[in-house]
Amino acid sequence: MNLSEELVNVINPHDLFNITVFGISIPVSDTVVITWVVMAFLIIAAILMTRGMKTIPEGKQNFIEWIVEAINGFVKTNIGHHWQHFASYLGTVFLFLIAANTISIFNVIPGAEELYKLTHLELFENIPNIKLRPPTRDVNVTSCMAIMSIILVLISGILIKKPVGWIKSFFEPSPVIAPFKVLDYFIRPMSLCLRLFGNILGAFVIMELVYMAIPVLIPAGLSIYFDLFDGALQAYIFVFLTSLYIGEAVE
Amino acid sequence: MNAEGLIAIAAGIAVFTGAGAGIGIGIAASKAAEAVARQPEASGKVTNITLLGAALAEATAIYGFVVALLLIFVKWPA
Repeated sequence: MNLSEELVNVINPHDLFNITVFGISIPVSDTVVITWVVMAFLIIAAILMTRGMKTIPEGKQNFIEWIVEAINGFVKTNIGHHWQHFASYLGTVFLFLIAANTISIFNVIPGAEELYKLTHLELFENIPNIKLRPPTRDVNVTSCMAIMSIILVLISGILIKKPVGWIKSFFEPSPVIAPFKVLDYFIRPMSLCLRLFGNILGAFVIMELVYMAIPVLIPAGLSIYFDLFDGALQAYIFVFLTSLYIGEAVE
Repeated sequence: MNAEGLIAIAAGIAVFTGAGAGIGIGIAASKAAEAVARQPEASGKVTNITLLGAALAEATAIYGFVVALLLIFVKWPA
């Protein structure tokens, strides 16, 4: 297998197994499985961290309160008056994207294929090979996030401004810009989706090339930038832009 | 010249959009540094706006990158 084939094999999400619902078989790709891993991690962490909360915080409760307050303050400065309705959604998206973008640093756990090569146990032969690669490198995941964001913008605009006010807002300050405001609802999710996808895929491709060329020492330093910094920054920018769009829709 | 060579050149040209984004983000960063030097107390707001500007300027580079990837991985003759 030459380098480009190997790269394509790593980049493309591949189907692991099928789920049959009402006679239709739905292929489940590894991005979906890794998304489940991220979801399980977040849910378990949330349950463990919020157990036995006290009025006077101590230990882990300090940390979780710091996160919640940081998210609340961030949403308050960007959305303003109606921030309470959106803080939970934006916080969830932020934590999910951070976990999803930086999950490849936990790739040190050997996959089923490597375990089989090392031990030759039949136990590992039949397990599908899952490596922890960021699910956001799949354009389906990021387009999903972007469509969810733009639906939230639409619904919050209609509910808070009331339908008449919402339609009026297209013609302000001048009726000339109405077509551009309609176009915004198509361009914004596309740019949100492609920005996240392109950044994560680009960083991922660079890291895979480095792993193929120099597998020791050098990737550790580069991983801090490409996995941790870039992943966290893109999660922040995604949530920041979503909150700006919401703030504009409900102002 | 065969199709593979043309596709490789096309991908190279598509990635050239990164030049514009680099200049744009450089200008944004330099102005942000100036602004913080003048008003250190506003550094939080300046950081926010710089990040937003950088993210928007970067979009063109990302589109070029996605087009190049599509050219190489989708259009490449097997």
